[in-house]
Amino acid sequence: MSRTYWRSLAQFEDRPEFHTALEREFLEEGPSELAPGVTRREMMTLVGASLSLAGLAGCRRPVEEIVPYVTAPEDMIPGIPRYYATTMPFGRSAYGLIVESHEGRPTKIEGNPGHPASLGASSARIQASVLGLYDPDRSQTVRLKEATKSWSDFVTAWGVLAEAHAADGGAGLAVLSESFSSPTLARLASELRARYPKATWATYEAVSDENRLAGLRSATGRDVDLMLRLDQASVIVALDADPLLTDPEMILHTRGFAAGRRAGASGGAMNRLYAVEGVYSLTGAMADHRLRLESRLIAPFVAALATRLALPAAGAANVAGADVPGVDPRWIDALAKDLLANRGKGLIVVGERQPAAVHAAVCALNTALGNTGKTVSYFETKDAALPSVSSLASLVSAIQAGAVQTLVILGGNPVFDAPVDLDFAAAMAKVPHSIALGHAVDETSSRAEWHIPRAHYLESWGDARAVGGTISVVQPLILPLFGGRTSVEVLGLMVGGKDRPGYDIVRDTWKPILGEGEFDSKWNRVLHDGLLAGSALPEVVPTLTAPAVAELSGGAAGGSGDLEVVFLPSPALHDGRFANDGWLQELPDPLTKLTWDNPALVSPKTAETLGLESEDSIRLDYASRSLELPVWILPGMADGVVALTLGYGRLRAGRIGSGVGFDAFTVRGSKAPGFDRGAKITRVARPYPLSATQNHGSMEGRPLVRESTLAELRSQPAAGQEPAEGAHAEDSKPAPKKGGGALGVFPEHTPHFSLWNPHTYDRGHQWGMTIDLNACTGCNACITACQSENNIPVVGKVQVKNGREMHWLRVDRYFSGDPSGSPEIVFQPVPCMHCEDAPCEQVCPVAATVHDGEGLNVMVYNRCIGTRYCSNNCPYKVRRFNFFNFTKDTPDSLKLAMNPDVTVRARGVMEKCTYCTQRINRVKIDARLAGKEVRDGDVKTACQQACPASAIEFGDLRDPSSRVAKAKADSRNYALLEELNTKPRTTYLAKVRNPNPELEGPAA
Amino acid sequence: MAQIFPPQWNKLPIVAAIAGSLVPALAIAFVWYFFSPWYTDVGYRPDQPVPYSHKLHVGELGLDCRYCHASVEISNVANLPPTQTCMNCHQVVKRDSVKLAPIRESATSGRPMRWIRVHELPDYAYFTHRMHVAGGIGCVTCHGRVDEMETVTQTTPLSMGWCLDCHRNPGPNRRPVSEVTNMKWSPPRDFQTLAAALDRERPVNPPTDCSGCHR
Repeated sequence: MSRTYWRSLAQFEDRPEFHTALEREFLEEGPSELAPGVTRREMMTLVGASLSLAGLAGCRRPVEEIVPYVTAPEDMIPGIPRYYATTMPFGRSAYGLIVESHEGRPTKIEGNPGHPASLGASSARIQASVLGLYDPDRSQTVRLKEATKSWSDFVTAWGVLAEAHAADGGAGLAVLSESFSSPTLARLASELRARYPKATWATYEAVSDENRLAGLRSATGRDVDLMLRLDQASVIVALDADPLLTDPEMILHTRGFAAGRRAGASGGAMNRLYAVEGVYSLTGAMADHRLRLESRLIAPFVAALATRLALPAAGAANVAGADVPGVDPRWIDALAKDLLANRGKGLIVVGERQPAAVHAAVCALNTALGNTGKTVSYFETKDAALPSVSSLASLVSAIQAGAVQTLVILGGNPVFDAPVDLDFAAAMAKVPHSIALGHAVDETSSRAEWHIPRAHYLESWGDARAVGGTISVVQPLILPLFGGRTSVEVLGLMVGGKDRPGYDIVRDTWKPILGEGEFDSKWNRVLHDGLLAGSALPEVVPTLTAPAVAELSGGAAGGSGDLEVVFLPSPALHDGRFANDGWLQELPDPLTKLTWDNPALVSPKTAETLGLESEDSIRLDYASRSLELPVWILPGMADGVVALTLGYGRLRAGRIGSGVGFDAFTVRGSKAPGFDRGAKITRVARPYPLSATQNHGSMEGRPLVRESTLAELRSQPAAGQEPAEGAHAEDSKPAPKKGGGALGVFPEHTPHFSLWNPHTYDRGHQWGMTIDLNACTGCNACITACQSENNIPVVGKVQVKNGREMHWLRVDRYFSGDPSGSPEIVFQPVPCMHCEDAPCEQVCPVAATVHDGEGLNVMVYNRCIGTRYCSNNCPYKVRRFNFFNFTKDTPDSLKLAMNPDVTVRARGVMEKCTYCTQRINRVKIDARLAGKEVRDGDVKTACQQACPASAIEFGDLRDPSSRVAKAKADSRNYALLEELNTKPRTTYLAKVRNPNPELEGPAA
Repeated sequence: MAQIFPPQWNKLPIVAAIAGSLVPALAIAFVWYFFSPWYTDVGYRPDQPVPYSHKLHVGELGLDCRYCHASVEISNVANLPPTQTCMNCHQVVKRDSVKLAPIRESATSGRPMRWIRVHELPDYAYFTHRMHVAGGIGCVTCHGRVDEMETVTQTTPLSMGWCLDCHRNPGPNRRPVSEVTNMKWSPPRDFQTLAAALDRERPVNPPTDCSGCHR
């Protein structure tokens, strides 16, 4: 199979900006200064001064202090990290975690292997949440308007308010909370209702699964939620859904999906993923067949599918309902046939944006196909506060009517993210007493009468139900750094009138759950495990099997000429709550590879129609509201769709997040929070530069990603090894490619002759890595895990544009196919390859990068003088240079997030992936002292441990039974740029697609 | 006509040759020694907030190193003792000593002691005590005869070359693990037999790659 791969439209069209990126790894000329304004003369003065200072300072030995404990804590050994189980609550989801703590400060987060929602893996957001703990912009004091107060002041003030509300049963009291799923919070909420029966309770989430809950309610008659088991599914249909990235349970889904992909590549059955969507999502990128379809046409699509599935009770399914405008009926035919052939092994998933009727219909289809209980199961939403826009709307109207005297906002940022037509800020100003619990003095807290700093989950006692209902415990790793309080403590005060510690309140909830007898030992077991074993909720079986097709057909109507606007949660910032997290801001978006911004996304054809280029500014008019923002052309978007990413454009997020991007909430109303017709775009003649990394680290267009189809793999075992044609027409070699024989050797290469004396790697451990492109979904968890483990700095938007981002691991995204249709995507994570004959080592004039005996290409920071020859000579472009002292101005609190086992690099030093050499050393020393051998799986690199898809294997190549050695024996194994004879230790397993033979070629 | 060069100038080539070879050699020797940790670091003896005497506690009273530096066998760092460890004895012994006032102050106020670090490696070097203790490297080998020091002094350069000398040939510096904290232990006459025995019992393979210590 011969394909042309391209990283960007600029490359596809062979525009000059791509050549600039190709020729210069670091785009800007010379190491210019960070801030403008230092002239050459000043520079000389500074250099002179610092030289003389350096001379003096060099003569003096720095005095370092050792500060031991006064009373040593029991079991705390200085220098030995400790690990605790805890849980990160996220809306109604909860991720079980194991957190590493160095001398009492949490530094690194990993998934808890025993937890059903994290399975030992994690996501970029989970990894980055440790930075949120140390965020210096978190609020540090209780505030009454602008004045600094203390918590006890608030307790006193609340006493007065509580007395007033107790008199009338809480008629003037309202609580606005985020959605949650927590036994303790649910208990407190019901006690609050008992104490103040007339109080109002509203639950709001800006990115909400309200429609799904409503749909499932109509299908089952109860409040239920679903749990997908992608590992059990052979045919997966994602309708405007993104279960692999923006869905809160993406870890679980990715693990299951990857298992199905891997099984296929190793001889078993491989799942097949169909995606029908308007906005290119990560799930769409992984799909075997992708159909571009506007969000409003999903409902008719479901109707057409239901008709074809010819279900007995499908109702009056006439032929007219079986068509979707602009969709080839054969596509739906083939899909329906595939689903029918895989009864009980199929799965239809529908996105949260879609209306409730679609969710109900899909639930019915899944049940009718026998998938319920196998690939999808339903469980009651117990102990939960379910999000509801209408509850917020009625709260706002109650406030406008003057019925609310006291409003307690338990977390969340409604002033920023509430529907714009409700005008929550104006409503809030009318409440005599508003109390906002929040992490920072943000848009909401700054307008409240009382602001209470909120404790981070790593500082909190609490509990949460994970997907499926397993009760997980939130255990603090550290006392609140800035005196924060949890929502449990605030609610506890409201309910009991007494200031009680969260620990006592949570234990009160758990006493009936665990039983009084031997409570403490059972409680300790829960704390140790992080969850209560066996607390998953029983399955609920939906009764509805016949989708109401008639209800679905209406959505297709709508005026022509207008664009459909779609509101997306940001994969990094979600609804904006993570906006002040530098790691997430600088994380390239998986699809667009954009950092630090959220332009409107349109398809190439739509851009052409409207006369737009990427980085143009546009004005978007929708529902008599307008927003000015830049635009970005993303191939694979449905034509006539403009996608706006939520969560950016915060005004009071902090020093990182304030003023970054554009606030899409300012045009989002309560009527259509997901998608709507009627948007208009006008070009504003002002370019807006965006920092995308899509062209960074280009490897001269050589054949880099390899893919094959399942059929080819079956017929010819080494089919995956065919190098695909390079992106650059002139670079691609027309040499005939044949399926390889021996592993990693391509017939077209004559045996390599090395100029160097061969290294022998026949002693000790020999570390190596494989990355399975077939499993990798490009979710970026590895990048953030690496950033957290290896103290990688954040450089900012301007430096990213100059190609100076510091991520040791980048995820390259390659398109192939027609950019005006639905081009396919392959993701390729690229860390240092640890070449055995490393080109970087041969050009370093000071031997700052050398090999060690275990095959690691080692970077010695204290030798490096910053010539950057190594980076220049690296064919993989994986070396990163500290152009500035990026860590110099790190605020003190953020220094606490640093890993003490990894050097913090200074200016002028090259750095790169080390295979987590600190982890290797720790495991080796531990094993040696315990008198054991290092076993396969003992050493896990940070990227490997975080990967939800288990796409990365790492281990000892000399151990033939190791997982990595087995992976390297796979016929899909290939080395990147193998013809250069660098002998990389990191190799890739080719991607395998599983297209439906009835659907030729990718769908448009 | 007087000669341009008087006869004594005949010595010039010899003088020049000697000076020309000697001066650079001396310059190199000067830098070699005076810029090296042998000169800059050895002998470092900062004043501590409390004039704690190892000579008294270890040399005369015979305290084991691990009474205070308790984590040396199990952690990368050999901890300094918490104030409480001092107070274990000093709430009975010398309870009114003026010199001990900061310790008592720390114990009552809860503010930790701030000792001055003597043996300091660069931040990019990751040293692990537990491996060295397990490998039978005595405390004395790096820290000197602490039991004879009134104030702790750095006696070894702790430079990379010095580390590597031992990493390349650890045998002569090894001792039975039971003798690691013994300040007065000296190798037996047939130390080669001992080294061979230790090597049989527990072979060591100290890293000489950069990644062994730099991360």
